[in-house]
Amino acid sequence: MLHSANLSLDQAPPLSIPLRFFLTAPLFGLGAAFLLIIYGPEALFSRWETATLALTHLLTLGFLALVMCGAILQMLPVIAGSPVPRVHLVGTLVHLLLTLGTTLLVAGFLTDASFWLEAAALLLTAGFGIFILAVTIALWRVKATSATINGMRMAILSLVVTAGLGVMLIAGRARWIQLDTLLFADIHLTWGLLGWVALLVVGIAYQVVPMFQVTPEYPAWIKRWLTRTLLFFLILWSALKIVVTQYQLPAFVVPASLGIIICGYILFASVTLLLQHRRRRRVFDVTLLFWRTGLGSILVCALLWISGYFAPALKELPQFDLLLGIGLIAGAGLSLLNGMLYKIVPFLTWFHLQNRQLTLMCMTVKIPNMKELLPDRTSKLQFSVHLVFLTMIILSIFFPAWFTHAAGVMFGLSCLLLWLNLARISWRYRAVNRTLLSSSKKDT
Amino acid sequence: MEQTLDVSMLEPCEPLNRTLAAIMELSEGDYLRVIHRREPHLLYPLLEKQGFSRLTVPGHSNAAFEIYIWRQQDTVAQAAVQSATHSARF
Repeated sequence: MLHSANLSLDQAPPLSIPLRFFLTAPLFGLGAAFLLIIYGPEALFSRWETATLALTHLLTLGFLALVMCGAILQMLPVIAGSPVPRVHLVGTLVHLLLTLGTTLLVAGFLTDASFWLEAAALLLTAGFGIFILAVTIALWRVKATSATINGMRMAILSLVVTAGLGVMLIAGRARWIQLDTLLFADIHLTWGLLGWVALLVVGIAYQVVPMFQVTPEYPAWIKRWLTRTLLFFLILWSALKIVVTQYQLPAFVVPASLGIIICGYILFASVTLLLQHRRRRRVFDVTLLFWRTGLGSILVCALLWISGYFAPALKELPQFDLLLGIGLIAGAGLSLLNGMLYKIVPFLTWFHLQNRQLTLMCMTVKIPNMKELLPDRTSKLQFSVHLVFLTMIILSIFFPAWFTHAAGVMFGLSCLLLWLNLARISWRYRAVNRTLLSSSKKDT
Repeated sequence: MEQTLDVSMLEPCEPLNRTLAAIMELSEGDYLRVIHRREPHLLYPLLEKQGFSRLTVPGHSNAAFEIYIWRQQDTVAQAAVQSATHSARF
């Protein structure tokens, strides 16, 4: 819920802060596309290949994390009435450190040079450290909490675990510490995808699905219990996984606790699809297509994981882990965040312009609405390309020589179109803002 | 006199756009009753900037909130809002 008592438009960061995160994310996507084109099947050979690690982190850190950090910095003052302290400085530093850190990490994976990896670990620790500290202060100051705020708190806690384990894994690779790489890499990626990314998506969905898609509200019991149950079982799963591995105990308790987490996400995806089916205003909306693709991917990945549990032969196939990873990162993560960007960016732009117009009392200039800022045909075209990319990347797992390069080309095109669509909105913002300022000067 | 605007089935930014357009049409003594499914917190500071007052009360059926809006100096409209919200409550 928004809280008017605490709300001040002046507390919200300038539009340039979230926009720099949102506009950089597709560029890392383009980097991932180039990597797929250049390395081809090698990039999808196994999850331990250096090219695969580089590709994964271009998507998770470069795309997903940048969008999520930008969205949190922007949304906290609006949905919680609690601005991030020194948001301009924090936003600038975090963006710079994460962008440089991710670039060096990818370079480190590709060249297998520990110097780049260590430098990346430093920059990413500083970037996420500043972000986590600033956001934790803002979340601490929230007076009236909500399901979205709780989701954010748990996502931030998951980010602490994910980033901490990431640094540990780099330290292990550099032989600074002794580490069971397989065990901690599993925990790192599970906290990253099922904690940091997914818990934030769930928390934000409670706010944006009913608001932007005119659906009924999520049931109160889901808003109350889902994220905390998921976090509890993530902690339990990690503890059990470490204990079972160290002391060679019966292993069935580990997948059982992960199974409960999977069931939680099946519940979230099913309820969201049901709410969207019951939406009150049935007009065409591209973001709904992105949401359905993302939620469908969650359900398919969940079914795949359950099938793998009951049919161990399936789980042993080399394609199993890759299919799950691509389904969760590209199918769910990229689709859901792409859909969210197409609502958040036009809305923020329109709102900032509206606010500027009323501040200047310059009513002769027409403020473009969300559909004018982002026409359906451009976002629809990008969705079609994104869907072709998803089909090709899944096919490339089974027929790598035939489809990997083509998947890279389609992903590059999709990221380029996304960047152009977002950049056009920011260019339009600048143009209207200039007109407002010059008209107000003329009036005075 | 009451002017009514139902934005409960519209997605952002239409409710805010239409409300800001509708308040500019208010004559002296008139107030606007906006029927909304969510509390429009982002609207409030914009109303203040435009010189309008508002009162938000719980709505009926599918409208969770009703927002009454009138010009700050318009005492006739303010009295009409008080009377309307009082009779709605009791």
